[in-house]
Amino acid sequence: MVRRHLRRWRGPLRVLLALVLFDLAVRATAGIWEHHSPDDYAARVEGCARQQREVVFVGGSTVSEGIVPSELRGLNWNGDSFRDLYAVGLPGGTTSEFLHAIKRACPQPPKVLVYGITASDLNDNRHEPHGPASLMTFGDVFDWAVARPDSRSWVIRQYLQARLSRASAIWRYRHGIRMAAAMQFEDTFPGSCPESAAEARDLVRYADALADGDGYAPSSGFVERRYDHVKEVNAELAPFRFLDRYRTGSHRLYLKRIIRWAKDHNVELVLVDMPVTADLERQYPEAFVEYRRVLAEEEAEHGLTVIRAHRDLVGLTEAGFADTIHLNGVGAKVLSRWLKIKLEEHSRPGTVDDERIRAQAGGNRP
Amino acid sequence: MILGHKAFFLFLAITLLVYHLLLRGRTAKYTFLLLASWVFYALCSPYYLWVIWLLTGIDYIVGLKIEAASDERTRKRWLVFSIVSNLGLLVAFKYTIFVFDSATALAGLFTEVPPRAWDILLPLGISFHTFQGISYTVDVYRRQIPAVKSKLDYALFVSFFPQMAAGPIVRAVEFLPQMLNPPVPSSVQIQEGLYLFARGLFKKLVIADQLDQLFVSAVFADPSAYSAVACRWAVLAWAVQIYCDFSGYSDIAVGVAKWFGFELPINFHLPYLATSITEFWRRWHLSLSCWLRDYLYYPLGGSRGSVWRVNFNLMLVFVLCGLWHGATWAWLVYGVYNGVLMCLHRAMHERLKGIAWADRLRASDAWAVIAWGATFSQLLLGLILVRMTGWANGGAMLEGMLGLGEGTRMVPGTVPLLVGLGLIGHVWGLARERMPQVAIRWEPMRVANAAACLAAVAIFSPGVAKTFIYIQF
Repeated sequence: MVRRHLRRWRGPLRVLLALVLFDLAVRATAGIWEHHSPDDYAARVEGCARQQREVVFVGGSTVSEGIVPSELRGLNWNGDSFRDLYAVGLPGGTTSEFLHAIKRACPQPPKVLVYGITASDLNDNRHEPHGPASLMTFGDVFDWAVARPDSRSWVIRQYLQARLSRASAIWRYRHGIRMAAAMQFEDTFPGSCPESAAEARDLVRYADALADGDGYAPSSGFVERRYDHVKEVNAELAPFRFLDRYRTGSHRLYLKRIIRWAKDHNVELVLVDMPVTADLERQYPEAFVEYRRVLAEEEAEHGLTVIRAHRDLVGLTEAGFADTIHLNGVGAKVLSRWLKIKLEEHSRPGTVDDERIRAQAGGNRP
Repeated sequence: MILGHKAFFLFLAITLLVYHLLLRGRTAKYTFLLLASWVFYALCSPYYLWVIWLLTGIDYIVGLKIEAASDERTRKRWLVFSIVSNLGLLVAFKYTIFVFDSATALAGLFTEVPPRAWDILLPLGISFHTFQGISYTVDVYRRQIPAVKSKLDYALFVSFFPQMAAGPIVRAVEFLPQMLNPPVPSSVQIQEGLYLFARGLFKKLVIADQLDQLFVSAVFADPSAYSAVACRWAVLAWAVQIYCDFSGYSDIAVGVAKWFGFELPINFHLPYLATSITEFWRRWHLSLSCWLRDYLYYPLGGSRGSVWRVNFNLMLVFVLCGLWHGATWAWLVYGVYNGVLMCLHRAMHERLKGIAWADRLRASDAWAVIAWGATFSQLLLGLILVRMTGWANGGAMLEGMLGLGEGTRMVPGTVPLLVGLGLIGHVWGLARERMPQVAIRWEPMRVANAAACLAAVAIFSPGVAKTFIYIQF
């Protein structure tokens, strides 16, 4: 009976066996493919968890593009000089992703946790599928499903899809294989696929920066770009979809959990209201009113330290931004230097001289 | 949902599992398969399920009426009713806009006409299942097959989902005898079905869609920006794209049908190896070519009669063939172009036939190479007609190919690779024809080939599959 079935199905079984062997080969060489298409969420979280950090910065793309930990090295906090800082900036993330990132990135809690918050982190109109795929455990999914029935089916679907896709290494690493093939092909036959090869090289650089650095691995397009120059070319302001149909509530629950986590682990939590351009605030005025109301309420309720890094206080002009919300390379350095001084001031109660801080950080000059 | 989408894989897996594992007995299996086919139709073309129901009902009843009728006039009336019903709906859905636009363009020469503010969505596979319905009633009329008594059998013959959207156009005489008892797929069918399925997906998702995305669409959108070499490569790439797209669909359809135990006719036989236009149409979209031959060309008189009559028959068949593909002037011209080539080839053949030196020359390998080159060039020229976005655009492409343009953009290196992959089957087929000793079906190689195709589909297919070109016809 079994032999008869085996004979009947021998064709598909042989193909399946060949696919499994190929899949195993891809799995065995996973490092190569990951290097060509890194999972940046996982890479940043793992990079941070590699050793105990004194200061961890967490947040979305405003943190990944705008915080340069090396500029904050030597931060003096209540007499301690911190040298080990790491930025877990998760592009596109929401407060929900940041809680899961903190839990995975900080198995040993840091002394100070700086959350670079911005309005889009709290927008319930959006969810980031990368979170369930790369950061969440089954327990996290269950917890989400219970606490947030509005997005229960979404989170379960995303989590299961991600787990299923990991069953096959071919499927999981398909983008990395494509990028590696593009690079190889371009090297062998120059000019054959220059755009794909350039993307692949960018990703390799990104993977290297994520693997070796302190979490500061900005997108190459953002470092050099200047928003004032962009505006000269494009008169029309592009919409920032992450603030569309703005409403808060569900992600805010995870902000409270971050606050509780910090308290439970005896970690100093500082919230930094990240700078954005005036154009973005003009484009989404209601979103920013709502966001700042929520931030003020949380500040009052939990006695949080909130540093409002308004562009004018920091001394950031449009030349320091890459677009309406992300800082470019120069802007990131200015903000980081400003933040270092600001954090030091906050760690020792006294007069905060904003003019002096701005001058020291190099603001108004980019 | 179309073949190649994730939803289709899920639909297929569920249908196969329920059909083979849960259901017993002819009626249960065929009823389920029919319902699944209608669900497939409804998912692809949700507003038009009534079209396939209506035509199925008409052709089923007409078949019975023709068989029951005793006098020829009644039989013919019923046949005409079936043909008019099928072609009437086909014309209404497919050609109304073409006629309206042509009429308004003509009227626009004399007066101002407002632009058309309405559109007609084409029901899924209407060009295919109407031809199937006509072939059935004609075959019953010719007493080549008996009328089908079972509504279920007839409905499933028309709606069988693997071939419903874009063929092959299956004839009743080919399909209905297989339905006597639900066929149990043999081990060879399962295996061959998988090989065909993998090959079809590879052709469609890796070659056709990639060529379109990387190169063909961009060049045809603005030929003047590309160099002469790039324009020539674009036409070649388009030829490979349309072949891989359509033959890929046919491979998937034939492969999936095998998993249900059914055999569908093959639709392609290495068309780009043709050494004449006549031979090309015997290798390309075989089910349509055979349909047009048997239900149009032969009834018109075929190759009998005067030279003018035969040429008229050929022209009519090819003009209608062009219009069958698409209701545009470009397709009409494509039909005329092919008709003229067919007439010229036929004239040349008749002229040279029986002349000793000419027969010897035409039997030589050198002639085969020259004839292949000439035929392939004619095909490529014709394909510009069906891909150009407008007449000016087609002219720019021709200029570009002849090196009269000023464009400088070149060919990405991946294009020759994809073109080579798309034509590798032809090379292999040619090798097998010329050297039968290499035609060994070495099983491990076929297994590795299928696995490599599936892996390549997973890795290299674009995120979103494009609709099959022939589904739009």
